[in-house]
Amino acid sequence: MAVTTAVSTTTAPAARRRRPPGEGRWGTYAILFGIIIFSIFPLYWSIVVSSRDQSAIGSYPPPLVPGGSLWDNLSKAFEQGNFGLALTNSVIVAGTITVAVVFTSTLAGFAFAKLTFRGRNGLFAAVVGTMLVPTQLAIIPLYIMITQWFGWANDLRGVIVPALVSAFGVFFMRQYLSSAMPTELLEAGRVDGASTLRIYWSVVLPVARPGAAVLGLLTFITYWNDLFWPLILLNTQNPTVQVAIANTASGIEVDYSLVLAGTVIATFPMLIVFLLLGRQIIGGIMQGAVKG
Amino acid sequence: MRKSGIVASLVGTALVLTACGGGSDSADPNGEVTLTINVFGDSFSLPDNRSLYDEYEKAHSGVKIVENRSDFGTHHQNLQARLTAGSGTADLEVIEVGQVSGYIGQPDKFVNFKEKDVDTGQWTESTVQRASTPDGGTLIGLPTDIGGLAMCYRTDLFAQAGLPTNRDEVSALWSTWDEYVALGDQFVAKAPGVKWFDAGGHLFTGVLGAEKETYYNAEGDLVVETNKAVKNAWDLTVRAIEDGQSAALPEFSPEWNTGFQQGQFATITCPAWMMGYIQGNAADTKGKWDIAKIPGGSGNWGGSYVTVPSQGKNQDAAVELAKWLTAPEQNIKLFKSIGNFPSQKSTWEQPEVADFASEFFSGAPAGKIFPESLENAPVQVYGPQSGVIGGTFSGALNSVEQGTDPDEAWESAMNDIKAAAGDG
Amino acid sequence: MTARLDRVPPTPPEETRRRPADPPHRRQAWRSRLYRWDVKGSPYLYILPFFGLFAVFGLFPLVYTAVISTTSWSPRKPGSEDVSVGLDNYTKLLSDDSFHNALINTFGIGIISTVPQLLLALGIAHLLNYKLRGRLFLRMGVLVPYITSVAAVALIFNQIFARDFGLLNWFLQPFMDNPLDWRAEKWASWLAVSAMVTWHWTGYNTLIYLAAMQTIPYELYESASIDGANKWQQFWHITIPSLRPTIIFTVIVSTIGALQLFAEPFLFDTTRNNNGGSERQFQTVVLYLYQQFWTNGRYGYAAAIAWTLFLITVVIALVNFLLVRRIRSADD
Repeated sequence: MAVTTAVSTTTAPAARRRRPPGEGRWGTYAILFGIIIFSIFPLYWSIVVSSRDQSAIGSYPPPLVPGGSLWDNLSKAFEQGNFGLALTNSVIVAGTITVAVVFTSTLAGFAFAKLTFRGRNGLFAAVVGTMLVPTQLAIIPLYIMITQWFGWANDLRGVIVPALVSAFGVFFMRQYLSSAMPTELLEAGRVDGASTLRIYWSVVLPVARPGAAVLGLLTFITYWNDLFWPLILLNTQNPTVQVAIANTASGIEVDYSLVLAGTVIATFPMLIVFLLLGRQIIGGIMQGAVKG
Repeated sequence: MRKSGIVASLVGTALVLTACGGGSDSADPNGEVTLTINVFGDSFSLPDNRSLYDEYEKAHSGVKIVENRSDFGTHHQNLQARLTAGSGTADLEVIEVGQVSGYIGQPDKFVNFKEKDVDTGQWTESTVQRASTPDGGTLIGLPTDIGGLAMCYRTDLFAQAGLPTNRDEVSALWSTWDEYVALGDQFVAKAPGVKWFDAGGHLFTGVLGAEKETYYNAEGDLVVETNKAVKNAWDLTVRAIEDGQSAALPEFSPEWNTGFQQGQFATITCPAWMMGYIQGNAADTKGKWDIAKIPGGSGNWGGSYVTVPSQGKNQDAAVELAKWLTAPEQNIKLFKSIGNFPSQKSTWEQPEVADFASEFFSGAPAGKIFPESLENAPVQVYGPQSGVIGGTFSGALNSVEQGTDPDEAWESAMNDIKAAAGDG
Repeated sequence: MTARLDRVPPTPPEETRRRPADPPHRRQAWRSRLYRWDVKGSPYLYILPFFGLFAVFGLFPLVYTAVISTTSWSPRKPGSEDVSVGLDNYTKLLSDDSFHNALINTFGIGIISTVPQLLLALGIAHLLNYKLRGRLFLRMGVLVPYITSVAAVALIFNQIFARDFGLLNWFLQPFMDNPLDWRAEKWASWLAVSAMVTWHWTGYNTLIYLAAMQTIPYELYESASIDGANKWQQFWHITIPSLRPTIIFTVIVSTIGALQLFAEPFLFDTTRNNNGGSERQFQTVVLYLYQQFWTNGRYGYAAAIAWTLFLITVVIALVNFLLVRRIRSADD
């Protein structure tokens, strides 16, 4: 009940195709613009600080306009933090995990959403249940397992393999498919004699695509920004991008301009992924609405 | 089918790539040895200057040195995890002086330098004691650089408050910590808006630096509650805080940096490396600082030890390197190139160190001040949770700074300490 | 709502057209057995990857941690890993004031950071649903907080909430005599941490709601507005019920996230001793766990905290689920 009553929107989605410009529209833009400013400000400020020298972060009033050393600090941070390798590693890690998670989550999500089988509800509850385990809990046993049983200390596989499936992903795709996938289409496929796999391939996947794209984007970002686990498993010789950033913060006297320059380097590829997958989502979302 | 084919080949390629990308061998069939060393700062190199390692490699063909840097917290955390898991440490690991007490309870995880033909007389007794088991039988690390302790003060702020600015006069004014706090009362009365020191925790640690037994006694018992020295240090610090002397700034935070730049406090307990810190973060204050003796005459803050974990595969080569890196000649080089203050006593007589004076600090003879603070330091007793207990006290003093009743803060600190150090 | 897909059609249509040229019964029997296997068995194959990997990387650590929680293991006391103390750690936890404090903090921060956030996300998603100019920029813009690096977030929010020279206190200067120490007061620190959490996660939930909103057919709205329903009614009776599975999802995920809150309180404390403030003003349960684990080296105790949190989370997530489920079904 508390979930929606407070939302005081005054315009309905139905009018979206025939909405006259003008009134209310400006309000919408203004609100959204304000929100964007809040969202982007920290990133902007990272650029400001990383374009200045070391003392900038402590100065008062804090700088709000970029200085001139951006390129210098970026190149220094790039070399010191071994960012070439770090960026490559992060692409491999986040990319592989994203592909695997989307793949396995769509499969399992479909099964839980639309197929009936014995123990379905219990197993699904178990899936959701696995999300309740805090990650901080498993560090030592997982570390022992990864380094001693598998021998993957300092190896990207130690970062990738534990993350290949995600309960969150399964949960998400299941919810998405249960509302986006009309059962009539599935039944029609059954009547035509198609196997489950065939139905999955030709009927479910196209419908799932926008949801899968969103899951993919979020998963990629999550693992690109993942810090704690790679930090314990990898070292400077084989870092991911967040580990490299943390390493520029080494020493008692930390040059925050370099650290933030590192974060700027790390964010760039994300913006590119944004543009690529973003269009996918927008395009996919527009097509995804099932009509009649 | 095409899509799943693409997906499958992507995943497969990625796994193959990662199989090639990771891992590091430390032994080459050709007799080449690669030694890894994990550091958390500029112990032996700068990010763009590894000349010391290069020198060793040239003198010892067949040895390669690979350094890994991480930030302070991560480095020590990872070290403990890897020691516990039994794998993943580097051949050499640097441990900071405040953290090393947490490792002396695990001596079997490190190579014992007492068995490796090391002349421990190179260093002061207290320095060696810090990395030794209480019975003195095991030395887990060799001291590298050290902090010592002095008191850095702002001459301009002193002058404004009508205090003398000459470093010898100032040193005479605070030969004990009680006198230091009394002077602080005078200062605060005459200089509204400026505090005397940056954080209560530093005052507390400074006062305890002159005691032999603080949190543990020589038998290894936890005596923090009954030890009068600890309570006296607490009471003195609380008094200073309640007199408004503390700027209550957490160390190494950006706010602390701002504190330097804005002149929020007039004095700060100053180990040798703090000089570089102030120069980097508050360059505009050049010439406004000076260095006086630390009240009480002795103390130490910072410095590290280089250890060789016993899970390593190249222990002999690592021990060789460790001994070389901590030899006096190398430490003079480090002092000149990076500024790390050497812990080896013989270096203090060398002109490069002894005559070192800092322009930024009004020409203070740093090369004499810091060794003095180390020479008379008492040999302190540490226990496995000494570091944690120190941190708890800093937190408790911070809460007093924020307005908590001191007795309540003391009680809750005692509870936390007993829980943390009592029975695990 | 779900069809009974496991009901095998008695005879697949095309089979009836084939007459005695092949042995129809055997082929028919084989095909229908294949169907039955497919329909009954394939779901298990689809969920196998998940459970397989989880068993190795999720279950083992979980069980191992339960074992650790019955010892008094501390790495600084070698040999302590073999000392079994039964359920002592748990009984100690029950009377541990710091733990109770952490629970209160977690719940408090959890509520103020989750409820407004989800409402905000719903509203923003609704606005973004329109055919606006610069759609892509706006939609991706709300996600920028999620891609901002942890290091940057920490530094910036510490600057904003700094006591003496922080941005926020600078704005509030005219209204206060002394600058507010955001880390000293419980309520202030809760607000600050919640602000960080809300900032970080709103865009994430917005995108999820947006994706779900896009699956709602236009026709529903058109026919409703023809029937005379106003915009608010359309939102309440069409959008929300259609989003029901997604809302359930975000509520549960956010609840779990709130109970496991760690990163923001960890970063908000600049003293690096993981105390969550000088008197644990904003120390959440996971931060307490982290402190006991890493700073104090009490592995056994930390494992007990972890398992207790796990059990609490199960209960709360269940309660949450039942609540949200019940409310929504009234509008179905």
